[in-house]
Amino acid sequence: MTFSFPNGSSGLYLALAATLIVGFLAMFAMMSMPARWRRPVVATCTFLAGAIYVAYYLWPKPQAFGPRDIPQNFSESVGSYLADSVNVAGTISTALTTFLLGLGIYSLVRIHGRKLLRMQKDWGFSLVLLISMVAIVIFGYWSYWQTKFGPDAVKLQLSSNWTWVNYTNDFLFDGLLQQMESAMFSIIAFYILSAAYRAFRIRSVEATILLASALIMMLSLMGAVEFIWNSHLPATGFAANFQITEIARWIRDTLQTPGIRALDFGIGLGALAMGLRLWLSLERGGVSA
Amino acid sequence: MQYYDTGWFGVAFTMVIVVFVLLNIFRAGKNTNLFIRRIPGLTALDEAIGRATEMGKPVLMVPGIGDLNAISVQALNIFAYVTKTAARFANPIRLCCGNAAVYTVGQEIIRDVYQSEGLMDRYDQDSVQFLSDRQFAFAASVSGLILRERTAATFFLGEFFAESLIFAESANAIGAIQVAGSTQNTQTPFFIAACDYVLIADEFYAASAYLTRQPVLVGSLIGQDWSKIMVMLTVVLGVCTYSMERNQNLDFKKDKGVWISAPTHKKTDDETFINNLFNPDKPDPLLHKRPQRPPLPGEGGN
Repeated sequence: MTFSFPNGSSGLYLALAATLIVGFLAMFAMMSMPARWRRPVVATCTFLAGAIYVAYYLWPKPQAFGPRDIPQNFSESVGSYLADSVNVAGTISTALTTFLLGLGIYSLVRIHGRKLLRMQKDWGFSLVLLISMVAIVIFGYWSYWQTKFGPDAVKLQLSSNWTWVNYTNDFLFDGLLQQMESAMFSIIAFYILSAAYRAFRIRSVEATILLASALIMMLSLMGAVEFIWNSHLPATGFAANFQITEIARWIRDTLQTPGIRALDFGIGLGALAMGLRLWLSLERGGVSA
Repeated sequence: MQYYDTGWFGVAFTMVIVVFVLLNIFRAGKNTNLFIRRIPGLTALDEAIGRATEMGKPVLMVPGIGDLNAISVQALNIFAYVTKTAARFANPIRLCCGNAAVYTVGQEIIRDVYQSEGLMDRYDQDSVQFLSDRQFAFAASVSGLILRERTAATFFLGEFFAESLIFAESANAIGAIQVAGSTQNTQTPFFIAACDYVLIADEFYAASAYLTRQPVLVGSLIGQDWSKIMVMLTVVLGVCTYSMERNQNLDFKKDKGVWISAPTHKKTDDETFINNLFNPDKPDPLLHKRPQRPPLPGEGGN
């Protein structure tokens, strides 16, 4: 059984339209529903969606099951049905998120639009934000339409044939947005320096251990230091353990890796317990209110 | 056998953990006097809010840039507690979201908190903001907000990546008291270096139990502790078994899932019981290929 449709088929467009209608109907139904009914409805939907994932995890998975394979028995039928259902459950969650993006944009426009209209402090930044947002949406879709569906779609695959719309979109996205994001990313280098300076100041035993191990790790990565340090030590025997690369490896493998794995166990258990509480709607207050 | 061996041990282990958690939730419902150790990062929450109130500056909360998942839901649960305390002191709050779904849920939670406290007159609709779903655009927005509004207390709890240090250092630069916690182990060192209090690993998940003392959450936390003990015992047992096995001699080996005679040798890593327990054999290729249905229009053949 399949829940997917070939690209460009009428079934796909029908499914998209149905998703849109069902999505709006579901939102409208939830909003107009009495508050006391909302919780059981949400709990039931959460349980059903989660149950698909749980069943998928527990049910034996048919080996090498291709998209066109016909299940040979009940177990394979259930296994392949669950594999398809998991994708659908994931897609529903993506569709819901897409609906919510509209609310996010509304929030941005409301806050910055009001700031602009009332000429509040720093209204200029709000103006830039709104103009940028509208510009990149217009040129993004315009350029996409031209290169995918427009009369010169094939010709426009080559950048030498681009129109001013494609160039503007490229300038806005690659020329401005990507460059500004790279600039933000590069700032981290300086922040690492200032944070490391504070962290490595010797104030306690823990800070001293941190400083010493960090120093060894950094020195072990410097070719010149590694060469000078290791050249004074034999390559084999007990003394070889004191080569800087060996000390660094020991810190990494014996201290750091087990520490991180222990943290990972804790995080995994916490996530599992949290998932269980959410799936069975056991929590009260906060998100589950 | 034409099924993947999913590893019975992994499934059984998970089931035991699930039983531990559910059993302790049931126990906690009957006995509300269960002990949870003190977590400094969480006792600092009230201190941070108190400081913000004294200074008359906003409290900033950032639930990371992840999707709406267990991590961001947990972050929002903690922020509900922070908001409740801040609302009582009439302290302004800012909840900045980098994901539209988290923003929507966050907005509902914050409104519910003000409503349940009977303080709707203090609720500011703009206190929950969606800034951007692009990582560094979001980092720039939050960083700018910190510097412009000079927030007195900042809470960075959730899923953070490279932007974590930008937030933490911006807040540090203005002298804000910072409580942070991330489930991303790669970001925790940055928070430790730059923040005042850090929730490490599962302390993040323990937070709501510690703050609210709800029986369900406390029970779940104790179930996690039982599970941790079980994991530790398994690790110790595995280390002992593995060390003993590697010293054993073997005069046969496994070939395509079948044991056959072989020269005497020390057991290899692949031949140990504990390795096989966690790494099931890969199945052989399908013995009988399944019949196939005809391709749908536009699907193509194979």
